[in-house]
Amino acid sequence: MGDCRYQISQCAYIKFVLHALKHRSSSVNGLLLGRLLEDGGGGAAPTVLISDSVPLSHSQIGVLPYLELALIQVEEHFASDGLTIVGYYHANERYDDTELSGAAKKIGDHIFRYFPQAALLLLDNKKLEGLPKGKGRDPVAQLFTRDSSRSWRSTGSVGSPQLTTKEPSANVVLLDFMSTEKWNEVVDFDDHLDDISKDWLNPDLFK
Amino acid sequence: MVGATEEARLNQLETQVDNGGGEAWEYLCLVRKLKARRSEKVLRHGIFILNSHIARSKLGGEEWTLYEQVAVAAMDCHRNDIANDCIEALSKKFPGSIRVGRLKGMLLEAKGAWPDAEKIYAQLLVDNPLDQIILKRKVAIAKAQGNLAAAVEYLNNYLETFMADHDAWRELAELYISIQMYKQAAFCYEELILSQPTIPLYHLAYADVLYTMGGLENLQAAKKYYASTINLTGGKNTRALYGICLSSVAINQLTKGRNKDEKDSADLQPLAAEALLKDYKERAPEKLALVTAMLRNIKLVS
Repeated sequence: MGDCRYQISQCAYIKFVLHALKHRSSSVNGLLLGRLLEDGGGGAAPTVLISDSVPLSHSQIGVLPYLELALIQVEEHFASDGLTIVGYYHANERYDDTELSGAAKKIGDHIFRYFPQAALLLLDNKKLEGLPKGKGRDPVAQLFTRDSSRSWRSTGSVGSPQLTTKEPSANVVLLDFMSTEKWNEVVDFDDHLDDISKDWLNPDLFK
Repeated sequence: MVGATEEARLNQLETQVDNGGGEAWEYLCLVRKLKARRSEKVLRHGIFILNSHIARSKLGGEEWTLYEQVAVAAMDCHRNDIANDCIEALSKKFPGSIRVGRLKGMLLEAKGAWPDAEKIYAQLLVDNPLDQIILKRKVAIAKAQGNLAAAVEYLNNYLETFMADHDAWRELAELYISIQMYKQAAFCYEELILSQPTIPLYHLAYADVLYTMGGLENLQAAKKYYASTINLTGGKNTRALYGICLSSVAINQLTKGRNKDEKDSADLQPLAAEALLKDYKERAPEKLALVTAMLRNIKLVS
């Protein structure tokens, strides 16, 4: 999986960050949906296109039933669009925690079994904090992929999988949403289970 | 722990105050009573009252409780300057008070000065060795530093003395789950169910942990506790209904080909599925097709 690239759409990216901002004092997680583009065009490297994300949980991360439920329902829903689960995102509880937790790795392993190029995104709090000041276009997340030694490796050095946003101005749009506290409108699977009239697809979030 | 009706009332008040409809003090009192964490709103509305002489004098003695509430909210929102001002005001009014001392310790925690905070707490503990809040701050410091093993140890020690502290048992269970020590988490929920058997949240959380641990015995127990949750919530808890479905499927997968002894609960799964579908039809019709397909698929498997 050494030369696979990863591209995340604005929609998936912003949902992920807003979800984390909505629940600042706990960890959050979610699923990444997309597909693999074998040939990036003109002999370019294969690319995983992450086109959407589904926020899962902000309070029940360690327990299994709701994760299984979400996996079934999300797969079922997105299959008709030709999309599959291509990864998982996670934001840690503490500001300075940059480690992948055991739960995140386990969930990542499970997704890896069905999609070997699975991407694990961990929110980078320091980058997120620095967003309003800088003009960075890099997504505020660390990308982890499974290497041949079966462990999740962070990519950061040259020559390893890169994560880019599909739309270059994704961070600008994100900042705009942050200024209007848009995160209040994000619905995750947890919220849905507490009140099923809330839709984890967040259909009206970007309207 | 905030129930659905209480949360609805809280949200209603919050919207009212946000839109300038008054009742800020009632909102703040309710937040305090329910121990809800709404720090940004508390900070905004609390500061408004504190800054207005008229509103403040209306509170009388309660003014100081508000200072304390705003101080904590300010720390949660990273406004240590505001927290400092509140604590100074309280310090002047109540010199040498342990309650103010605790706030000073918390402010040091908020700044990340863990050793200094621990020093203050140690001093306070000399005169008040059984102060529950300070003992719990030790756990909080360990947790904030990412030292979950120490947090678990301190919390266990605390619970040996204060075994009736239900919030502490819940916190310990959640800590255990976060480090994937499910058996120990299950033990915590067992303690909670023993002492408060009519609270459905504990039954549900216990069932979730049992399901996560897996294995036939645990899954069968999980199903029982999802069922008791349904009993205690009048069938309205979506998670418990799904729990019955998931645990039934898992049990059936494990007992395939074996004699099925559990005939008495064979009709529980279809009933739970039916209840779910009915609820989705009424309240979330756009999801009905998806849930129907899912339930149909897993019925096929079982």
